[in-house]
Order: sequence, then structure tokens, then C-alpha cells
Amino acid sequence: MEELDVLKKAWKNQDASYNQVSENDIYAMLHRKSSSIVKWILIVSIIEFVFWNIISFAFSDEKYQNKLESYGIEDIMFIVNVINYVIVVGFIYVFYKNYRSISTLDSTSKLMQSIVNTRKTVQYYIWYNLFIVTLTIIISIVMMFAHNPDIISMMNEQISEGHESIFIFVCVLVSMAFIALVIGVFWLFYRLIYGILLKKLFANYKELKKIEV
Amino acid sequence: MDQQLEQSFVKQLKDNQNIIHKICRLYTSGEDAHKDLFQEITIQLWKAYPKFRGESKFSTWAYRVALNTAITLYRKSTRSVQTSSFDTSNLFVRQDEYNYEEEEQIKLMYEAVHQLNDIEKALVFLYLEDKDYEEISETLGISQVNARVKMNRIKTKLRKILNP
Repeated sequence: MEELDVLKKAWKNQDASYNQVSENDIYAMLHRKSSSIVKWILIVSIIEFVFWNIISFAFSDEKYQNKLESYGIEDIMFIVNVINYVIVVGFIYVFYKNYRSISTLDSTSKLMQSIVNTRKTVQYYIWYNLFIVTLTIIISIVMMFAHNPDIISMMNEQISEGHESIFIFVCVLVSMAFIALVIGVFWLFYRLIYGILLKKLFANYKELKKIEV
Repeated sequence: MDQQLEQSFVKQLKDNQNIIHKICRLYTSGEDAHKDLFQEITIQLWKAYPKFRGESKFSTWAYRVALNTAITLYRKSTRSVQTSSFDTSNLFVRQDEYNYEEEEQIKLMYEAVHQLNDIEKALVFLYLEDKDYEEISETLGISQVNARVKMNRIKTKLRKILNP
């Protein structure tokens, strides 16, 4: 192809044409901060891990514990909590391992794969948390109906008035709408992060995969 | 950081800086973006430098890190300014004052290459650097056959851009 070969010929002769960077400039550059996406992924991921842990701590205050006790599910919730922490530690370990495996010395394809994997770990962590949140909401609602005296008396009142099915229907609807709202907000938030951080990476990754088909 | 390590890195980078300039020229438009990417590549090279044991040439080793940075790690998108606004005059001093026609052709080639996507640019870069398909396939992580096929498609694409 002659056009590209014209460029190839000129390519070798262009070395002198760039403004040469001095040793001092390079020293200065070494001490500046990187703005690579790997750094951003690490920051965002740590924020996410911390965020979910704060949420779970915030909910497990003394009042909450007393409430669990009154519902009679303290023991079950303790076991659930232990399992939860084991899973969280597992996630953080896998994330750290994936993060460490990101190397600019790998082939472009492998590098992209490691970044995608690192990000996926956090994504799974978020889905896991949303699942737990949903489960907690459902259990709380069921427990509330079974144990909360106010709710029980309210329900009995409704039943005596013959609105039982409507009452249950409204309750289920309200809780489902609440769960959908929570998941929806998070979903939007993460689409945003993906959009900003990984748009270019995904586009290039797709392009590379296309070559391999 | 080890001062001696830093010194040897800075020296080698200075001697091999044109590799990075060439990549910056393909992947960015304008002087600021050029400098920005140059800096990010320098940081990434420095981070990876402790793993460089001198088994290969510094330049060969630097190709991979520099391309990976331009394609994968560098976040600022150059897409929005990639077409007409590229100013070649301040980056490219005329080498051959006499051959105006060839110079014009090279300028058009650069503009055409700028319209390619990031992966295609990488293939063009390695081709221009006279790398064989084995090295191209290893650098990008695709098979040799596919690298060859893709290179031919890129040539066709460039021809179409140049002769619409």
C-alpha cells in the first residue's frame, strides 16, 4: 500500500521534529499524579466498599438489635451477619487480587480483561448488597406483620372491616415500589460510573474482540 | 524510590522519548493533549520500570506500556477533536523543505490515521515501527492471522479515506 509506505518512510526521519523533553522535565513528571482509569477504578471501588459497610453498620445500632430481639430473630440475624462479613472479606480479597494483576506489561487484550474483571468484582459486590437489602426489607416487612403490635392491630382492624385483600395488596405494592426505587437509583448511579470511567475501555475492548471473531 | 534506578530510567527515557512522541502524535490532537498523554505514559513506564530487567531493549519494552496507556489507561477522550482541528505545524518541523508534495501527502496521511479507532492506530503504529506480525499479535493479544487480516482492512480503510 503506497500511501502508508510514504508515511513509513517519513516516520523514521521525523525523530528530530519533536520538542525534546529534558531530563529535568522527566524528573518533574515522575512526581506528578497519574490520572489513569486504574487509579479511578481503585478509588471508586474503595468508596463503594466503604459505603456499603457504613450502611450495614448504621443499621445495626442498639435500637435495631432490640427490635430484632423483640421479633425473635436475633440468632438468625447474627448468623446472617457472620456469613455476610465472610462474603465481604472474600469480595475484597478477590478485588485486591484482580487489582494487583493489572499490568501494563501484559498484552492490550489481557490488560483490558484484568481491568474488566476488577470492575466486575465490585459490580457483583453491589448486586450482592442490593440482594441483601431487598431480602432485609422483605424479612422486616414479614416480621413486622407477625410481631409488631401496631401493625397487627391495624391489620385486624382492616380485616374486621373486610378490606383484608386490599390491605395486603397495598402493602405488597408499596414495598415492591420501594425496593424497585432503591435498585433503580443504584442501577442509574452505576451506569453513570461505567459511562464516565469505562466507556472508552469498553469500546476498545469490543473492537479488539471483533478482530478475533 | 531508589535514586540510581530513577537516574537510569530518566536517561533511558530521554534517549527513547521519540517513541512516546510518536504515539502521542497518533492518539492526540493538539499540544496540550500531547503533553498530557506523554506525562501519563512516563508515569506508567516509571511504575513498570522495576520489572524491566534489561532482557529486551528499553524501546521494545516501552512500546507495550506506552500503547497500553494510550489505548486503555488514558481517560481523556480525543474523539471530539480528532478530525479537522489537528495542527501539525508546531509538532512537525519540515524535514524536507524541497519536497512540498510529499509533505502534503504525509499531512493527509496523518489526518487519515487520526480517523481510525484506537486499536487500528496501534496496528498502524507497530507497522510503521517495522514490527513483524508476531510482535504485533503479542503486543495486542490477538492472533497473527487476525492481525494480518486487520492490517489489510486498515490499509483499505485508509485508502478509502484518502480517495473518497
